Amino acid sequence: MRGTTEVEGLLRELAPQVLGAVVRRYGHFDAAEDATQEALIAAAAQWPADGIPDSPRAWLIRVASRKLTDLLRSDQARSRREYQWQVTPDAGPAPDQDDSLVLLLMCCHPSLTSAAQIALTLRAVGGLTTAQIARAFLVPEDTMTRRITRARQRVKDSGVPFAMPGGDQRAGRLAAVLHVLYLIFTEGYASTRADLAGEAIRLTRMMHRALPNDSEVAGLLALMLLTDARREARTGTGAEPIPMAEQDRSRWNAAYIREGTELVTTALRTGPPGLYQLQAAIAALHDEAATAEDTDWPQIAALYELLVQADPANPVIRLNHAVAVAMTDGPRAGLAMLEDLCCDRRVTADHRFLTARAHLLEMAGQTCAAREAYHAAAGRAPTLPQQRYLHARAGRLTPRNA
Amino acid sequence: MKYMILVYGSQQDYDALGGNPAPGRPVWPPEDFAAMGSFMEKVAKDLTESGELVDTGGLTAPVHARRIQVRDGVPVVTDGPYAETQEVLAGYWIVECGSFDRATQIAARLAQTPGPAGVAETAYADIRPLAESREELDL
Repeated sequence: MRGTTEVEGLLRELAPQVLGAVVRRYGHFDAAEDATQEALIAAAAQWPADGIPDSPRAWLIRVASRKLTDLLRSDQARSRREYQWQVTPDAGPAPDQDDSLVLLLMCCHPSLTSAAQIALTLRAVGGLTTAQIARAFLVPEDTMTRRITRARQRVKDSGVPFAMPGGDQRAGRLAAVLHVLYLIFTEGYASTRADLAGEAIRLTRMMHRALPNDSEVAGLLALMLLTDARREARTGTGAEPIPMAEQDRSRWNAAYIREGTELVTTALRTGPPGLYQLQAAIAALHDEAATAEDTDWPQIAALYELLVQADPANPVIRLNHAVAVAMTDGPRAGLAMLEDLCCDRRVTADHRFLTARAHLLEMAGQTCAAREAYHAAAGRAPTLPQQRYLHARAGRLTPRNA
Repeated sequence: MKYMILVYGSQQDYDALGGNPAPGRPVWPPEDFAAMGSFMEKVAKDLTESGELVDTGGLTAPVHARRIQVRDGVPVVTDGPYAETQEVLAGYWIVECGSFDRATQIAARLAQTPGPAGVAETAYADIRPLAESREELDL
């Protein structure tokens, strides 16, 4: 009997290949997605007991195709339904393309909301069940089922053919995919749900295999690896956050750091640096420092400077820039930059802004103001461990003999 | 993957093509007929160049069809088995291409074959996957 985990890993790997093959052959993206999922469920039930068939991919395609036939026949509403075919200038046959990549582009179609893009990507490309996705995003399974069903329908109705988009659309559509993968990763990272972060890494790795020369894909993969490398060390036993300066660096994932650093170094050499590459380069500088004191803050501040220029509207980048400047030129310089951000409500109501401000005030020796700022940050922090941590920081600043 | 694109017509459509339309059917002037021919040739040439064309052919008028059946173990022939208005297979394209969507794109191009007003409105083509193996017939 083969391990269930082994079968599950194999099925997740094959899921986009099977769906790709079925949609390629017969179309019907929405029904094919259901049919593929049913084939995966059948395999998950049979293979651990009966053994993995000689050609698992062919087995799944055959079963999914048969399910598709059943679904199409049972759904009379689907037959005789008219929809408009997207007439595109005849570009000739499509070059050989990676089905997983085409599916990613379909799932991140611009007609969908990002919540729908994320859910559809995790199911159709990631091979997760609706129940697993619902659990990961803490929504009821029914809600997730409806979200996925609507999203699939929408993709189908958009009439987008199963093919790589043409030159003018291609870059924008790829950027949308990277953004969705990034959101899946940050969702996993923020909630410390390693499964989502791991899934984002797996999918980005897949995309990197399909587009090895795309430096932003490499940059995003590097950013994820270099960030996730600190996962074990960034929370304490009580799930309280541990700031980077206080983390046990021996618990950082050295293999991830090595791989991420190599990726971003190569990517930066190939062309003008994109947003993900710059962020990955910053993460690499943090990861490479043997101790917090060894951190190359001037270099980090310079990279943030580039990031701010590339994406001036992003308040989180500007916030991090201010912190890097504080570490380079002293807390007052950083605090002055935070003042400039104060007119942006999105930032000032965010616990990250308040936390950074509290840290800088503490560095500047403004104890009373720092204490207040920590409490204010705690009031906005989304999780209990974070709130506890921030109150504790405030508590440390209370004069002992008062 | 192979797909067959099928187009249909009745004996009346054939008559119209030959310049002898039934009442209410559009007439095909010789220049329209020629334009259709050169359009089809162009498509065939492009598909040959892209390596996607397996075969294409037009079928002669339905009146020339011969049907064979077996009755009581004996083969029986019927000449001209179709009614005048019955739509039957008139032509086909077999293409080998990367996806159903690509085959559909080719058919969409064929659907824009030029012709006299009124013809395109009633014409249609079907696209069907050709089974790659006996197993696929079983799906």
